[in-house]
Amino acid sequence: MIKEIVVIGGGASGLAAAIAAKKKNKDVLLIEREAELGGILNQCIHNGFGLEVFKEEYTGPEYAYKFIEEFNSLDIEYLLNATVIKLDKVDDIFIITLSSEKLGLSEIKAKAVVISSGCYERTRGQITMPGDRPRGVITAGSAQRYLNINGFLVGKKVFILGSGDIGLIMARRMHLEGAEVLGVAEIMPYSNGLNRNIVQCLNDFDIPLYLSHTVTNVESDEFKRLKAITIQEVDSRFNPIKGTEKHFSVDTLLLSIGLIPDITLLDDFDIDVDPKTKSAKINQAYETTVNGLFICGNSLQVHDLVDNVSKESSRAGTSAADYIDGLVTSRQKIKIIPKENILYVAPQYLDFGWSFKELIISFRSSKKLEKAAIKIYQGEKLVYQKRRTFIVPAEMEQVSFPYSELSKDEDLRVELEEL
Amino acid sequence: MLKTFFYSFLIYWKGTDKLYDYIIIGAGVIGSNIARELCRYQTKVLVLDKENDVANVQSLANSAIVHSGHNPEPGSLKARLSVWGNLLYEQMEEELGIPLLKTGAYVVAHNHHEEQELDKLAELARINQVPEFSILNYEEALLDEPNLSKTVTKVLSLPTTKVTYPWEVAFAAMENAIKNGVEFRKNALVTKIRKVGNVFYVTVNNNQEYQSKYLINAAGVASDDIAGMIEKKVPYTIKGRKGEYFVLDKRVKGFVNHVLYPLPTELGKGVLITPQFHGEILLGPNSLEVKDKYHPTTSYEGLTYVKENAALLADNIPINQIIRSFAGIRSTSDYDDFYIKESLEVKGFYHLGGIDSPGLTACFAIAKYLVEEVMNVGEIYSIDPNFDPLRKKKVLFNRLSLTEKKDLLLKEPLYGNIICKCEKITEKEILDAMHGPLGSNTIKGIKKRTRAGAGLCQGGYCEEKIIKMIAKEFNISPLEIAYDKEETKLFVAETKVKP
Repeated sequence: MIKEIVVIGGGASGLAAAIAAKKKNKDVLLIEREAELGGILNQCIHNGFGLEVFKEEYTGPEYAYKFIEEFNSLDIEYLLNATVIKLDKVDDIFIITLSSEKLGLSEIKAKAVVISSGCYERTRGQITMPGDRPRGVITAGSAQRYLNINGFLVGKKVFILGSGDIGLIMARRMHLEGAEVLGVAEIMPYSNGLNRNIVQCLNDFDIPLYLSHTVTNVESDEFKRLKAITIQEVDSRFNPIKGTEKHFSVDTLLLSIGLIPDITLLDDFDIDVDPKTKSAKINQAYETTVNGLFICGNSLQVHDLVDNVSKESSRAGTSAADYIDGLVTSRQKIKIIPKENILYVAPQYLDFGWSFKELIISFRSSKKLEKAAIKIYQGEKLVYQKRRTFIVPAEMEQVSFPYSELSKDEDLRVELEEL
Repeated sequence: MLKTFFYSFLIYWKGTDKLYDYIIIGAGVIGSNIARELCRYQTKVLVLDKENDVANVQSLANSAIVHSGHNPEPGSLKARLSVWGNLLYEQMEEELGIPLLKTGAYVVAHNHHEEQELDKLAELARINQVPEFSILNYEEALLDEPNLSKTVTKVLSLPTTKVTYPWEVAFAAMENAIKNGVEFRKNALVTKIRKVGNVFYVTVNNNQEYQSKYLINAAGVASDDIAGMIEKKVPYTIKGRKGEYFVLDKRVKGFVNHVLYPLPTELGKGVLITPQFHGEILLGPNSLEVKDKYHPTTSYEGLTYVKENAALLADNIPINQIIRSFAGIRSTSDYDDFYIKESLEVKGFYHLGGIDSPGLTACFAIAKYLVEEVMNVGEIYSIDPNFDPLRKKKVLFNRLSLTEKKDLLLKEPLYGNIICKCEKITEKEILDAMHGPLGSNTIKGIKKRTRAGAGLCQGGYCEEKIIKMIAKEFNISPLEIAYDKEETKLFVAETKVKP
């Protein structure tokens, strides 16, 4: 038996993709490795979710519940406690190898696959952080899970490296739980978290934020427990500046130093990978360079708002349904190239075989800009422009415009002109 | 009341009256293998280690290489025991299920001067009776090693060089030793040694005493300090050289196929690129003498040195795939060779001093050499006819063929539940690591036994699941679970509102 669409991952992204595909009357199977749906939302017990999608403010579990309710009402088939360990494509059919206690090893065939496997946290090992390797250096998301799901506190004197949103949220959370949060260090000259989180999680609790600082030494005690850290200011090339050392006695160093899309399932495919997003390159239908293989949510690009994950994944689910319906014609495509002041763009291709009216481009700036114009060129021709104020790398931007008038031969260039 | 107290104190203090034949201090790859070798005879053996697991210091953090024996000084113990040890690995792969990746090695030269040094090294390999070595030119070497640095001009090929999994070497030997009657006590820091008459009294943690006829000092980095407890003049001093490393994720598997060495210097074998048994690749080590040999740390300078020097061996090293850096310690001594001798001062006290590289390579040979040639155990104790040298190879589920997997799943459905998604380690493998003769209830112990948490996300995903499993299997609260030593508890408190 061949499924029409298999969605891998049952968090915010997978739920939205599966719902959208099912609404187009497709035979959908969602596979989730955890014991319940909802993904990382389940541990995000703070509020601030849903303002864009529901025009109301929910906690993470509430937001997930809204989607799970809809998912269940549509009678979408799903598996829990099942891990996809291999993904292949033979001719036009995807073969998904599953491992679970209940089913053992099994193979599922599908005409299209949506990857919504989320992301993982960058760890200490992926940055150079010299010193000892004690217990007590832990990613912020893990600490969040231990605290909010399992009910255990990892430490009582805490410092946080990285001003990503999870780090900021955890600064407040640990403070409220009775831990002493001594500060947050951010290597960049600006915060990597949403402004509202800086205000509500740090400023409101007098937790200092050290911009252009990083951790340059980690010390353990005789039992290999974290005892102290040193932070230092860094120069414009991120090298520590001598004489700026500050020492903190702590038992915990939380790391909020970035999220990386989890695309290990794509290891066996010869796909184009974008070194900036660290995920697959896609066209405007969220389709990778493998036909019928779609990717969305944090496994495509790390989002700062779950609402955008849901919207994006819903579009990806719809695209997968269109693919099944044979609505994709030619495969003529052009590139979408990030230029001046743009860190990355997604999609990276515009494929004229897909018949959308609008092209939606997500991007992040590579620096903070007070006033800027987003300009998209095709050759010498300016095909789109819009003014924006206050653009920061921490906040994903989106533009959309009709593309029926575009030439099918020349690439698009996206720029941010500083005004 | 006072009497009861005194009585219980007496029991507590006295520990056991049992007289062991041998006490071994240190349960790294050396101590574990000596314990196992002693099982061939009718001996009572106790192994003590200050750590909460076997293989937790020098055996924990090293390059994992089984060297061919090409560079030690001819005639030295290092030369003899490394060539012999290398051969023994093939036998131990069968007997003990030791993981072995037959990589071979290239020692590279970059210019005329280095080519001359390479020829000298080849001559050493010949004298040391290293099998099958040869000199290749750049083009020949490139055939099997496409990422070899373009600056390389010639290589010495050493096909007998292999890579093992050091933790498993210690686990296998110790498990087999325990099965054959050896007792192992972890968290036992030796605090005092005295000899009265013909008996050694070894105090651990200041509160318990063990007795033996012979005492073997396989304490690695601490071996000179241990010897100093009973000898007035210790014949060597451990200087302690640290080595810093990077680990590249197993997704880079195949970037290099051989162990790549630069030419050796006085400081050691230099910064290497080493493919590992489970697919990841190591860059390193440097070699720096440290003030505190119990405390090797990584540094910006050290790690930068490793990156720069690794680049002399291969082009386009995928450093964006680094998942970890670490520092290990070598128990380098001021004596030029392995110091494996009976004490000159204290009869029955045996030194294994200065066992740095190639200690892992030589470990099986070192144990045999000590037992058969230094201690002549065969002249003191009779052969144990019940000695069983075999230990079953550990199931590495992800490495099995599809048919093998399906067969095993019929018997054991828990092989279907993936706990560590990066390394694809199953619930059954983790349960096995918790139980058995050398089971562990720590996160680090389980990581060492299964590799759960050793991959891309470094435990971010699976640690929570493993905590739940430990809590359930040992019926303890997560508050009691430690990362490694008892003091390294994972959590400090339960939160106010329980979910």
